[in-house]
Amino acid sequence: MTPTKSLYLTILLFVTSFTTVLAASAEENSKQVDVLDKLSNHYYLDFKPVGKIELPRIFWDEDGVSMYMSSTNALESGKYVDTYYETAGLPTEDYPVSYDLVRADGTPLKIDMSLSSHLLYFWFAGFILLALAIPLARRYSSGVGRDTEPKGTFQNMMEVFIVFVRDEIALANIGPKKYKKFTPYLITAFFMILIMNMFGLVPWGVSSTADVTVTAALAVTTFLLTQLNGSKDHWRHVFWFPGVPAWIRVILTPVEIIGLFTKPFSLTIRLFANMASGKVLIYSIIGLIFIFSGLFGDGVAYGTSWIWVLFALFIYLIKTVVAFLQAYIFTMLSALFIGMAVEEHEHHHDHEHEHVHTA
Amino acid sequence: MEMAYLAAGLGAGITAIGAGVGIGIIGKGAMEATARQPEATSEIRTSMLISAAFIEGVALFGQVVCFILAIK
Repeated sequence: MTPTKSLYLTILLFVTSFTTVLAASAEENSKQVDVLDKLSNHYYLDFKPVGKIELPRIFWDEDGVSMYMSSTNALESGKYVDTYYETAGLPTEDYPVSYDLVRADGTPLKIDMSLSSHLLYFWFAGFILLALAIPLARRYSSGVGRDTEPKGTFQNMMEVFIVFVRDEIALANIGPKKYKKFTPYLITAFFMILIMNMFGLVPWGVSSTADVTVTAALAVTTFLLTQLNGSKDHWRHVFWFPGVPAWIRVILTPVEIIGLFTKPFSLTIRLFANMASGKVLIYSIIGLIFIFSGLFGDGVAYGTSWIWVLFALFIYLIKTVVAFLQAYIFTMLSALFIGMAVEEHEHHHDHEHEHVHTA
Repeated sequence: MEMAYLAAGLGAGITAIGAGVGIGIIGKGAMEATARQPEATSEIRTSMLISAAFIEGVALFGQVVCFILAIK
């Protein structure tokens, strides 16, 4: 490394360290970082030092569907109250609005259809995916990349991923006969998850995949696709496992039926836990600065902050790898499950050798 | 209530041990296989990632239980 480069790196490190400590001491009233609060879904977009944007609230209740441009507007209408701090036994005046709104007259909300940060970033990811996919599809349908070589960095870069998903994931796991039908879904899932994971790496970004409902929805899509395309052999394996004594089927059939549902469940939990744990790890390491400033004063926090910034940087790099890896693993396992379900066996007498059990 | 935190902490540690041992064994197997057959590296890596993902899935079930215990 040249001296100029290392100088730049040192300056960058110090600037990031000091801004982190400045952000830490900006929250003077509470020296705690609420990690779970950072993980959860919010009714606002947080741009911390600048401010926050409240998202529209949509309620369906006794009065029908009502829309408000923000939670503050909903509170001002007088129909909704914020009871979060009352029930938690905390003084209301010290805290900002909690966005935990209920009807003032006590009647229940039928459905709370409000936009939330995870939903919004899911949509952003969808828009980005469309913005990437539509020009690319236009190019390929006009012949660039099919009749000729792919042109430009963008197309070459995307083609690497697309061919990878098609050949290494779809073709390798589903088989040459049926992979074409499922390749569009797998490519969409791969890029969608990848973009959502990447949103967790940009400043103020929220990765929607760190929300269990988003990953559950993705896993349910895979589950439906798997079961709806299940071959006759797939269902025979579930309900009437071939090649075993009849009494074993009494045990095997419930296990197989449970096995149908553990697959999407593990897909859900794997993606969610990986993305959420990366966030928790980064907040915990950054939180050490807060803890040090609380224990030993701001001086020590300034002095040691570069260590934690380096650690956080390291975790950040790992998170980048994990963002790709989890998109790959989700797609790969979806392809594997689909491949297992659509597979048709040629030899009906010796299934047990080629049937792979996975949980 | 404190016991729940203790259980969550211990449980998280034990699941980490289990996952570590499991993924370690997979990594060992994959490295040995790659050393024997370097030309099959990409296929070995794929199946290694799949089996690691399954072990990780079980470990994450454990972690989620611990998480639920801790935030209860």
